[in-house]
Amino acid sequence: MEIKHQVIVVGAGPAGLNAAKYAANAGCDVALIDSGKRLGGQYWRNTGNEVLDQSTHHDFDKGSLLMDAVKANPRITIYLDTPIWSASIIDQRVVLRTKDSSFITQRLILATGAYDRAIPFPGWDIPGVMTAGAAQSLLKGSGVAAGKRIIVGGTGPFLLPVASALAEHGVEHVEICEATGRLAWLPQLHVLLNNPNKILEAFTYFLTLRRNRVRMHYKEAIVEAHANESGVLRAVTVARINSNFQVLSKREVECDVAAISWGFTVDTALALSLGLSASVASDGSVCIETDEDQLASAHNGEYKIFAAGELTGIGGSDLALIEGAIAGLAAANARETKRNLFKMRRKARRFAGALQRVYPIPLGWKDWLTPQTIICRCEEVDYGTLREAERELSATDSRSLKLMTRCGMGMCQGRMCARNISDLLGSNDEDRINGTKRPIITPITLGELAQEGLL
Amino acid sequence: MKQSPDAIVIGAGIVGATTALALTQAGLNVLVIDRGHVASGTTSAGEGNILVSDKEPGPELELALRSRDAWFEIAEAIGNNFELEAKGGVVVARSDAGVRGLRALTSRQSSAGVVAQDLATNELRTLEPHLSHSVTEGAYYPQDAQCQPMLAAAQILKRVVESGGDFLPETTVTEIKHLDSRVVGVQTSRGFISTPIVVNAAGTWAGEICELAGTTLPIAPRRGFILVSVPTKKLIFHKVYDAEYVANVSSGSADLQSSSVVEGTQSGTILIGASRERVGFKEGIDYSVLRLLARQAIELFPILAELQLLRVYRGFRPYAPDHLPVIGEDTHVKGLWHNAGHEGAGIGLAPASAQLIMESITHQQTFMSGAPFLPSRFQGGVVA
Amino acid sequence: MIHFSFEGVQLEAEAGQSLAAALIANQQRITRLTRINSTPRGIFCGIGQCFDCLLSVDGKLNQRSCITEVHEGMVVQIQNGN
Repeated sequence: MEIKHQVIVVGAGPAGLNAAKYAANAGCDVALIDSGKRLGGQYWRNTGNEVLDQSTHHDFDKGSLLMDAVKANPRITIYLDTPIWSASIIDQRVVLRTKDSSFITQRLILATGAYDRAIPFPGWDIPGVMTAGAAQSLLKGSGVAAGKRIIVGGTGPFLLPVASALAEHGVEHVEICEATGRLAWLPQLHVLLNNPNKILEAFTYFLTLRRNRVRMHYKEAIVEAHANESGVLRAVTVARINSNFQVLSKREVECDVAAISWGFTVDTALALSLGLSASVASDGSVCIETDEDQLASAHNGEYKIFAAGELTGIGGSDLALIEGAIAGLAAANARETKRNLFKMRRKARRFAGALQRVYPIPLGWKDWLTPQTIICRCEEVDYGTLREAERELSATDSRSLKLMTRCGMGMCQGRMCARNISDLLGSNDEDRINGTKRPIITPITLGELAQEGLL
Repeated sequence: MKQSPDAIVIGAGIVGATTALALTQAGLNVLVIDRGHVASGTTSAGEGNILVSDKEPGPELELALRSRDAWFEIAEAIGNNFELEAKGGVVVARSDAGVRGLRALTSRQSSAGVVAQDLATNELRTLEPHLSHSVTEGAYYPQDAQCQPMLAAAQILKRVVESGGDFLPETTVTEIKHLDSRVVGVQTSRGFISTPIVVNAAGTWAGEICELAGTTLPIAPRRGFILVSVPTKKLIFHKVYDAEYVANVSSGSADLQSSSVVEGTQSGTILIGASRERVGFKEGIDYSVLRLLARQAIELFPILAELQLLRVYRGFRPYAPDHLPVIGEDTHVKGLWHNAGHEGAGIGLAPASAQLIMESITHQQTFMSGAPFLPSRFQGGVVA
Repeated sequence: MIHFSFEGVQLEAEAGQSLAAALIANQQRITRLTRINSTPRGIFCGIGQCFDCLLSVDGKLNQRSCITEVHEGMVVQIQNGN
């Protein structure tokens, strides 16, 4: 089945929702596609239960309003539970393939978002060790607390809402291990002061944490996990670390869940399948390059592909909303001036830049690894094997390493390990970008691929 | 690194690696150069096929028979650290004409030294229980084998280096210098290296290397895609392919030729090929070709319809107009040797090609006549 | 309340919950043993990116339990290997 729309938006998180709204309000017929079963993406993941949703989010009203506006807009057709497995440009039109349809447009807005970046350490594959995003999604999306004693570790502001929400929902013991120091914001104070709403947000989290007696440790990181006889998490080793992430001292903490966040990796699979230009940001993440209109690529004006939100660089939900609005207006070729939005975007990007400087991730985590530490979770390739292949089989770039050891060739196709491997190898930008290319974006059966009628 | 190696091999793919090994074993000091890394060309885009079943009697089959045994000799010498497996091939036919053609082929091949067992329907089902009921008869080739080609190239190259050879990755050759029509060395991105012998093992890019020496070879890309399934319990026990495949390989048409080739691997994935098209070095994935490959595989093995596709990869086979590799000394530039153009049989033919060229370079009796493979057939000259 | 079976055992879930969440709520943390080393795995990324939480759902292999919503009568089994 061929489904044509004037504008297609992929991703129903903050960026995609706003892009759809703005494009529709400017008069376009819009399709909003998401692989999930509900609107909201990761940031506004919800259950549909108003009370629960309000309690698991910092400011759910904003998201609620936007999602309602999108649902009510007659020009927007929503396609949920619709994962895209591949995309091509055919005859100047963008073709997005799903299990049984081809979506066709000449104005595409990609807002595919990001996912937690996990850094390997001994025992990170033990059940009970998960990303902070997993703990967050269990709670926000299903109302389930991941465990009873939860250590939230890593770096960045994301640790605060995750720990707060868990603490507020009956988890009896929550602790936070933040890798940076208590005064990490000092050098970026001017940026922080320029964003009072962020200060307020952080303050409300701190109050919640205080109220729930959640301890926050600074300059600490989870460097090892330990299982019990049943094979599930029993405890973690928390290390006091220096600014290079080297271990100074250790202590053991009993827990049944370690929820870890080391920033985010951008989901570039669809964008790269369409041949968009990528670059490597200062935090090492591969992201899509855009111009001031959020335009990622244009081909003699016949089709246009825009990118908005985390896809253009990790920057948070406020920036995502702004970029979505700009992309929506630009895709619609709206007359409306974007000058104010550009100003807001500049400010939000400045804040995002400050965040990166305040919460860096140096390569010292390499020292946490032992030769037995699994680096590729899917194919169970350990650190020792990778180093041996590098040494003995001249596998010094990520492609060769993949071919020799199978790391990155498993079910997740490198989503969890490619970035870490690039860090371990000291890959150049081209190598990093190539490591994220995936012509088959999500699994599809051979029978589905064989069907007639797909473009 | 030695200042002037006895020979430089351009290309660290399977042909370059095996050639370097053969020359090293013959006592030469060899330097391998590649603009990328080990197996960064077509070697990493194949399935690791070592086949005798898909070849008509002739020089290529003769090369393939020797090469198949040579693979096991290499595993003896360096250890089987590249998943070499005497898996055996099953060729199937689905129509009366197909069956007749297959029977005639096995008969011809048997006279040329290939072990081919005709299979009746029930025997076929014993070997491959999941075959479609539309498949009536087939043939079993116990000599067919498979390996992991990237590991093979890397392990072989490692042995070359351990034996005193050298390997320079990320090094581009910019000119092959000759004086009085004789090679004196190569100019590279890392400087000039003098040598009297250069072996062009650059596969699909062998023609480009020729230009660097002021000579030519008509080697062109023939694109292929391979589908890789998620790892699964063993469903396919041999390499299985449709008898149509043999006709596709030898087709001169530039249009899409596609017939089903299906096999499992040691990691549990199932590989599905095989498509051939002459579209130059075209970028991107052609999903209509992928769809055809999926459809043809399901026709052979209906159970595959439920299997998830994990990834896809693409390669450019090095194609010479008469489907035979180019092995031998350049007609015009002495000291420049070619070992390239193996099309879809590179892995299978590599060790014997390496042996042939090594014997020629070291003035030994060659194990078979190299005449059909000589570059002179394309270079309009007569070898002295 | 939704009823589903996990490895033959009858369990309960709330409407709208993901299968992974329902299993955790039922104290079931191990969802598979890996293909090569048979080591236990459970939910990891929680949003469908890591493919660690794979289970057989209603006979279909390799279903990501973190993005699969539980439905009445769902039959869930641990896969061998992948």
